[in-house]
Amino acid sequence: MDTGKEIVRFENAGLSYEGAPETLSDVSMSLSEGEFRFLTGPSGAGKTSLLKMIYLAHRPTRGHFSLFGEDAMEAPREALPALRRRIGVVFQEFRLLDHLTAFENVALPMKVAGVNQNHYREDVSELLNWVGLGHRMDAKPPTLSGGEKQRVALARALVSKPDLILADEPTGNVDPAMGERIMKLFVELNKLGAAVIVATHDLHLVQSIGKPVLRINEGGVSRSAGIGGAS
Amino acid sequence: MTTAAHDDEPQTEEQPRKKRFGSGSAPLLPEAGAAGAPLTAVIAIMSFLAVLAMASLLMVNRAASEWTSALRSEITVQVKGASPTEIDASVTEALRVLNDTEGVVEATVRSREDTTKLLEPWLGEGNAEVFLNIPAIIEVKADPTLRDNLDLLRNRLVAAAPGATIDDHTRWHDRLSGAARSGQAMALSIFMLVMGAACAISVFAARAGLAANHEIISVLHLVGATDNFIAAEVQRRFFILGLRGAVIGLVVALTALAFLALGMSARMGTDAFVPAFSLGGWVILWLVIAPIATCLVTAITARMTVLKTLAKQY
Repeated sequence: MDTGKEIVRFENAGLSYEGAPETLSDVSMSLSEGEFRFLTGPSGAGKTSLLKMIYLAHRPTRGHFSLFGEDAMEAPREALPALRRRIGVVFQEFRLLDHLTAFENVALPMKVAGVNQNHYREDVSELLNWVGLGHRMDAKPPTLSGGEKQRVALARALVSKPDLILADEPTGNVDPAMGERIMKLFVELNKLGAAVIVATHDLHLVQSIGKPVLRINEGGVSRSAGIGGAS
Repeated sequence: MTTAAHDDEPQTEEQPRKKRFGSGSAPLLPEAGAAGAPLTAVIAIMSFLAVLAMASLLMVNRAASEWTSALRSEITVQVKGASPTEIDASVTEALRVLNDTEGVVEATVRSREDTTKLLEPWLGEGNAEVFLNIPAIIEVKADPTLRDNLDLLRNRLVAAAPGATIDDHTRWHDRLSGAARSGQAMALSIFMLVMGAACAISVFAARAGLAANHEIISVLHLVGATDNFIAAEVQRRFFILGLRGAVIGLVVALTALAFLALGMSARMGTDAFVPAFSLGGWVILWLVIAPIATCLVTAITARMTVLKTLAKQY
C-alpha cells in the first residue's frame, strides 16, 4: 500500500562512531508511506546501524536524512520524541526493562506518551494474548525465554500503532510457526498503512513473503527486487 | 492461540501475581534498593544538620530579641556626690524628676548594700564603703516614648541633681546587636552550606543513577520519552528518598533538641543570660522547614542535573 509520500530519505549519508572509519558510507535510499522492505546483507554489513539511524538512536555524521518529511539532521532535540513515537522498533536484543512486567514493557510507549492507562490496557492485553503471552503478563523478562522476550518486544513495537515499523531479525528467536505468524502480522499491518522494514538474513523468509529487498554490502545500500516474489 | 512451545531456554518461574492496574503503576526507573540507602542516610544527616542550624538561628534570634528589648526598656541613672548625704539628697530630687516624667513606668533605687556587693568582686569584701563614695543607682523601667525625650530628661535631671548621669545602654545594645547579627549570620551560613552540600550530593547521585540506568534511559528515549519525562521520574525517585531521609533527620534532630531544651531549663532556670530553648508552636514549624528544604533541594537538583546531562546526548 504505497501512497507515494516519502517518510524516510537518505542522501549520501554516512555514519561513523566517534571518529572511527565509517560503518555506513554513501547511503542513499528512500521509503514511502505504506512500503514494505526487507533489509538484507552479511553480518556486520551495517543493517542494524541503518535501522539505528532511522529510529534516531544515531544521527548520520554526514549527508542528508529526513524522517516523516522533517530534516532529521537539523531537528532539535525536543522534536525527536514526537518522531520516535511514530516508529515501532523490534530490537534484535529485545531491550526489555527487566524490572517491569511483560504488560508494563508492552505499555511503555503509551505510558511515556502520557496516554491514560484505561485507554491502552485492552490493547496491551489483546496484543499479549495474540503473541501467546496472555498467561505471562505479570512475568518479568528475566523469567521469560528468548522467544517470549522477542514476542513481548514485538508487542511493544506495535502497541502504539506506529506509522513505521522497524524489525531487526524479528524471527531470530522464535520457532518457524511463530516466525511465519509474525511476518504475516507485519504484512497485515503494512496493508493497513504502516511502512515496514525488516532486517534479516533469513532468505527463505524473504522469499516466502516476496517483498522488495534493500541489500547492504560493504557499508552501502543497493535496491533489488524481491527474491522470488513480486514487490 | 498457539504459543511458541519450544522457545529457547524456557524459564517457567512464575512471578507472584500482583495488581496490574493499581493506583501506583511501577516506577519506570528501578527501585534504588541498596543503592538508595546511602543516599537516604546522607540526606538524613544533611536534614539533621539543617535542623540544628535552623534551631541555632532561632535561639540566637530569640536571645537577641530578649537582650535588646530588655535593654531598650530600661535606663540607669547614676547619682554621684561628695558625701553619702549629698548623694541621698540628689537621689530624692532625681526620683522626683523621674516620677514626674512621661514615659517612666517605674524608678527604683538600688540599695547601697546591693551596689556595694556589685563592686566587691573588684574591690574586695568591705573595701568599697571604706574607700569610696559609692554612687547611687536608680533603675528606671521606661516605655519607648521616653527614649525620644532622653535629652530633655537629662537636662532636667542635671538641673535638679547635678551629680546625676543617664546611661541609656546604647553601647551595650549595639554590642549585643552586633554579636547577635554575627551569630545569625553564622547559623544562616551553616544552613546554606548544608543546602549546598545536599545539592552537590544530589548532582553526584543523579549522575551516578543515570550512568547505572543508561540502558533503561536509552530505551525510554527510543520509545518516545522526552527529557522532561525522564527527569520527572528521577525527581520523583529523589523526592521519595529525600523525604525518607528528611523525616529520619528531623526526628533525630528534634529528639536531640528536646534533650537540650530539657537540660537548659533544668540547669539555667528563668534568669539565665541565654534564654532557654523550647520546642513549642512556631519553633517546630520553623524547624520542619529545614528538612523540607533539604528534600526539595535534593529533588530539584536531581531534575536539573538529569536535564543538563541528557541535553548533552543525542
